[in-house]
Amino acid sequence: MIVMWRRRSAHETTIEKLPIEIVNRKSKIVNQMKTLTNNLRLFWQGALLSYIALFHWMRPIQYAASKILMPLAQMFFFVYLGTYATSADNRSFYIIGNALQIAAVSGIYGMTMSIGGDRDNGTLGYIFGTPANRLVVFMGRAFMNIMDGVLGVVIAFFWGVVLMGLDLSSTNIAALALIILITTISTCGLGLLMGCLALITVNVMFVNNFVYFLLLIFSGANIPLASLPAWIRAVSYALPLTRGIMAARSLVNGATLAEIAPLLWGELAVGMAYFVLGYVLFKVFEVVAKRRGTLEVF
Amino acid sequence: MNIRSLAKYWRTVLIVAEMNIRQQMMDGFIIFTVLFQPIIIALLGLWMLKDKGADAAVFVVVGSGLTGLWSSLLFISGGSINFERWTGTLEPLVAVPTPFDVIVFGKNLGNVIQSLISMVVGYFVASLIFGYQLEIQQPLMFFASLLFTIIAFISFGLVIAPVFVMNPNVRAWQNAMEFPVYILCGFLFPVLLLPKWTNPVSWLLPPYWAAVALHGTSTGGAPLNATLFAWGMMLLFSLVDLFIASRLFRLMLHKAREDATLGME
Repeated sequence: MIVMWRRRSAHETTIEKLPIEIVNRKSKIVNQMKTLTNNLRLFWQGALLSYIALFHWMRPIQYAASKILMPLAQMFFFVYLGTYATSADNRSFYIIGNALQIAAVSGIYGMTMSIGGDRDNGTLGYIFGTPANRLVVFMGRAFMNIMDGVLGVVIAFFWGVVLMGLDLSSTNIAALALIILITTISTCGLGLLMGCLALITVNVMFVNNFVYFLLLIFSGANIPLASLPAWIRAVSYALPLTRGIMAARSLVNGATLAEIAPLLWGELAVGMAYFVLGYVLFKVFEVVAKRRGTLEVF
Repeated sequence: MNIRSLAKYWRTVLIVAEMNIRQQMMDGFIIFTVLFQPIIIALLGLWMLKDKGADAAVFVVVGSGLTGLWSSLLFISGGSINFERWTGTLEPLVAVPTPFDVIVFGKNLGNVIQSLISMVVGYFVASLIFGYQLEIQQPLMFFASLLFTIIAFISFGLVIAPVFVMNPNVRAWQNAMEFPVYILCGFLFPVLLLPKWTNPVSWLLPPYWAAVALHGTSTGGAPLNATLFAWGMMLLFSLVDLFIASRLFRLMLHKAREDATLGME
């Protein structure tokens, strides 16, 4: 006869000796920790895999063309147009505006394709079928696009300095980095909302392109907000990018971080509002799609 | 492709163009490219250049229309063969007695015509929203320039489409090719603003000569010689493009039949 003696672990021994309330509290904490770990894993895996999946059709050369050269060419176009319209002295106005506008490439297109792509590729049903925390799934999709967007804006500023003579010598670079990060986050908030709309519309690229190009007008990247009609200004302030661009211009013109802080808080608040709206819509579309059986109906 | 086959199949060209327009009017991406994007660019341009007066407004309307023409050529005409491949209609189109390049010519004609709508809409945007009294200074010369532009763009599209089909690596640059041409061809600002070394690149692009002719005749700012030269260049480029396109189509179809990859990407 073989007997397998198992030595009691210290944990088991301790639990037996503890009163039941403490045991319950402890197991609750363990469960919470497990949930947190699972959610963190889900967040990271979701972020990484959705980003890799986004590029299943995109080779490095396409990435360079779409994410580096296209934004650069667009920036050049509007800088030349702006300096032709006004004067070469206003160059920095257009460089800063259009460099930050690059955040919308990842924010709008990247986010929409990360979320809407599930529907196109037939994986939406599986996502809705899992018990995974929807908020974590949602945020995971945004994370890599935020990082990618920040990189895009940094590259745009680099081109602005090297090729177009943007002077950042007296600019607080750390503060500028903070503006770039916050503006990209808020733009991704709008992208999440667009992504949710992509779940219910066939013409995803129409919506994407439309919003992206409208931002060129409404964000003040190319037209001073003061010269726009009041109703457009009202819309502008309800959109991401607007305050971020204003903050960056003020910073480059010599303002301190404390002076532009209200603009940054405003930008962050706008972005968060879009994130929340996007998340709520995601939940609503999930319920409606499940009830009507229209999960992947185009 | 040669002029003789165009003369022989002109009816097919027109029917293909008509069907192409009808089909594409249902596609949101195409509607955005040929209509909304040029209008947004026109709005931006009109706002940015509003201190420069009515002449600048005409310049913007024509220029934004040209942006629509180029984007349409790049994304829609450039993908016209691949579109048939994706929808599974490429094999029957190659098999019919009508030469395949004639069919693509008809598709490009449809694309260019529908892109011109953006110029008309831009005109109304400038008139209604900004209150400009827009006047084309040399109407006859302008419409003749428009005709040369249509021919030049169709011919250029006939070169781009097979190049994109045969070289996926070139097609990868599609997104990056849109704005550089807006810049190099002087659609919304003069190329004089650009560094001098870019000028020879501009001269090699048919849309540049289209911009010279259309801007010159609409604002009346160009001498007759300059317009005639631009027409000549567009004609020359069209003939060269048609010649290159005929070789490219032959090569593409030969390769596709030899490798049995007609429907494969």
